[in-house]
Amino acid sequence: MINRFWLQRMIHWSLYLCLALLVACSPGDTNRLSSSLHSLYSEEQPALSGNGHDLAFVSNRNGNQQLLLYNFPQAKFIPLPGLNRPHNIVENPSLSYTGRYITYLTSDYGRPVIAMYDRATKQSQILTPIYTSWLRNPRISPDGRYVVFETAKSGQWDIEVLDRGPEIELDLPNGVSVDSSAP
Amino acid sequence: MKCFIYLIMLILTSLLSSCASYPRLISLPFDPGGQSLNSPAAELTPQISGRYIAFSSDRRGTQDIYLFDLETKNLIDLPGLNSLDAIATYPSVDADGRHIVFAASRQGRTAIYIYDRETRQSRSLTAALLAEVRNPTISADGSRIAFESNAGGHWDILVYNQNGELLNR
Repeated sequence: MINRFWLQRMIHWSLYLCLALLVACSPGDTNRLSSSLHSLYSEEQPALSGNGHDLAFVSNRNGNQQLLLYNFPQAKFIPLPGLNRPHNIVENPSLSYTGRYITYLTSDYGRPVIAMYDRATKQSQILTPIYTSWLRNPRISPDGRYVVFETAKSGQWDIEVLDRGPEIELDLPNGVSVDSSAP
Repeated sequence: MKCFIYLIMLILTSLLSSCASYPRLISLPFDPGGQSLNSPAAELTPQISGRYIAFSSDRRGTQDIYLFDLETKNLIDLPGLNSLDAIATYPSVDADGRHIVFAASRQGRTAIYIYDRETRQSRSLTAALLAEVRNPTISADGSRIAFESNAGGHWDILVYNQNGELLNR
């Protein structure tokens, strides 16, 4: 009988402990954004969407370096869930025509990689998982199919173009006919 | 039976590998004489818009702006853009290839310029701005130009239209 009570008390305590751990691990209020485009911190590397409605940039305003997306017609920041991760830095943002695709430079176990965030699926994917040279400054084409970047594979900076393929959903202005011929 | 399983595995592997061919790298022209996209010199900060890639390169001894056409695989002549006494960086082209925005440093002062391929002239957007400027970019429709300025003691982003009017004060 005593044993059973002891066990129940143990379960209570472990519950409290779990709860405390969970609370301690949950990140603080990371979505806290001032609504103004300007802040007292450095804002760098601007990138405009093809239609000029969105501006992506890198900012230090919330205590760590983040990629932010500002929409001019709505005059507010657009949340990008899952893009900015703790203990990682994103740089060199660029946007497709309506800002659906966001490419940026980040690191995967210390190796520079180009990643792309799709605002429709709210997910990032690494576009250069097996690229073996140093790279930097990725820029996505307005339709979202191509990504140009600098590569160090020849011993000096050269230009490389990545083709995401004919199967992707292109980010085009309304009323544009789709031409499948690739350059 | 074993043969049959091997056959299925072979078909599956070939199917999977054909699906995984994208994203892939495009083979790009290389010219030792500097008449194409890549050269033995440095090619920096490429930007793609429509069929055009704008980039800067020091292949002729000064760092200049170049425009490459992905459809014809040729460089496009930019008369009046590059000069011997300026270092030009961070080019950005709009989707119809008419306007190129870039930063150029001349006589110790950096300014953001917009070059019009029809009039063949460059115009400074930041003549009235008493600050260091860098990293310009133009939207694909040509409506907005954004760049960094340090007038406030840190880097801020300013957004202009083509007439040089500030849109985000």
